[in-house]
Amino acid sequence: MILLENIHKSFGSLEVLKGISGRIPRGEVLAIIGPSGSGKSTLLRSINLLETPTSGKVFVDNICISDKGANIGKLRTKVGMVFQQFNLFPHMTTLENVIYAPLKVKKMARKDAEILGKKLLEKVGLKDKAQIYPPNLSGGQKQRAAIARALAMEPEVILFDEPTSALDPEMVKEVLEVIKSLAHTGITMVIVTHEMGFAREIADRIWFLDEGHLVEDSMSQKFFKSPKTKRAKAFLEKVL
Amino acid sequence: MLLDFERIWPSVPYILEGVQVTLVYTGVSLFLGFLWGTFLALFKVSHVAVLKWFSSFYTSVFRGTPLLLQLMLIYHAIPQLTGYTISVWEAGILTFTLNSGAYISEIIRGGINAVDKGQMEAALSLGISYPFAMKDIILPQALRTILPSLVNESIDLLKESSLISVITGADILRRANIVASETYLYFEPLLIAGGLYYVLVMILTMGARILEKKLKTS
Repeated sequence: MILLENIHKSFGSLEVLKGISGRIPRGEVLAIIGPSGSGKSTLLRSINLLETPTSGKVFVDNICISDKGANIGKLRTKVGMVFQQFNLFPHMTTLENVIYAPLKVKKMARKDAEILGKKLLEKVGLKDKAQIYPPNLSGGQKQRAAIARALAMEPEVILFDEPTSALDPEMVKEVLEVIKSLAHTGITMVIVTHEMGFAREIADRIWFLDEGHLVEDSMSQKFFKSPKTKRAKAFLEKVL
Repeated sequence: MLLDFERIWPSVPYILEGVQVTLVYTGVSLFLGFLWGTFLALFKVSHVAVLKWFSSFYTSVFRGTPLLLQLMLIYHAIPQLTGYTISVWEAGILTFTLNSGAYISEIIRGGINAVDKGQMEAALSLGISYPFAMKDIILPQALRTILPSLVNESIDLLKESSLISVITGADILRRANIVASETYLYFEPLLIAGGLYYVLVMILTMGARILEKKLKTS
């Protein structure tokens, strides 16, 4: 379970997050939506401390990870992340990308790691790309490989930061299919997305952010049928 | 113009032996300077203020003063200060290492900064520690982009290593000078020395071009 307590984040004089509190139960699929610049990605990146909140507390499994001296490395093995720009390691093969962290962080035996890595690549439909270097993969393949890499650490939570925004339209579907296949398998998922149809289909819960505030926290069906706030209503009318 | 290479001829092998000396000074200093420069670069991109301050101050001193002065200081000042009689070899390698470390650290720092920020973020998000992320993810990518600059630095060092002749290191230039003072012929041995440096630099340059082409295609 993830708990956010009054998260503030400023970049210089620009306040991006203006006090966000919320709770994400274990195993739930949460989609964070909202206009550009509303602070969605910053909020997501606060959950694994790629951004350190200016103030406020982040709890993962009841451990406050935003305290000084918290074991951030250990937290991050529990919270995987998939980036908009994939961020695969270009000098390693696809398989090496997937198994590097299990090898180095979990000290897994190479043999076991390779079995795990191949299994995961098969799961995301990249069985035959194991020995290929990322620059030779298509965008959709890169993102699927990045998902396999995040899964290799067997995280409890996986964060998706606009996972399809950098993809050509024809590759969006294959990535969304893979993400869908992970939902409701016990893993907690937090997805920042502009794909409203996808959010509606996959998410249990929606957080609607606007100008650094968590304006609405609703179950997905309810949110899309009858949003509680005017701002959410206006946003949905624009994008749907 | 009269060139009397005949009288120089017997001394040519003696000058040629200097090639090895020059190459050892250059090679060893470059290797050690690369290691030292890597550490300095890591200091520069770290978030520890003391390390950052130290490495940029260090770099500015070694880039802001003449190499010949640094060499003389180390060769003459160390015995005076510590009582330890430093050999020409030690003084040369030490000075060239400290000096090239400063230049190489700037090259490596540039290479590290040129690696996409997302690479470090991806590594950290997997629970990989900062040192491992640097060693296995960031530095290998940085080194690829800076290889041509490193070759340029090695060319500079190869030529600057001739300063060792000032403190009697028996490199190409020093040997040419010795031959000159024995035969009273200056132009010929210095011409030979110049030719040797030129050939060595050309070999390095060609190697760099081939390397660059290979990196571009892969």
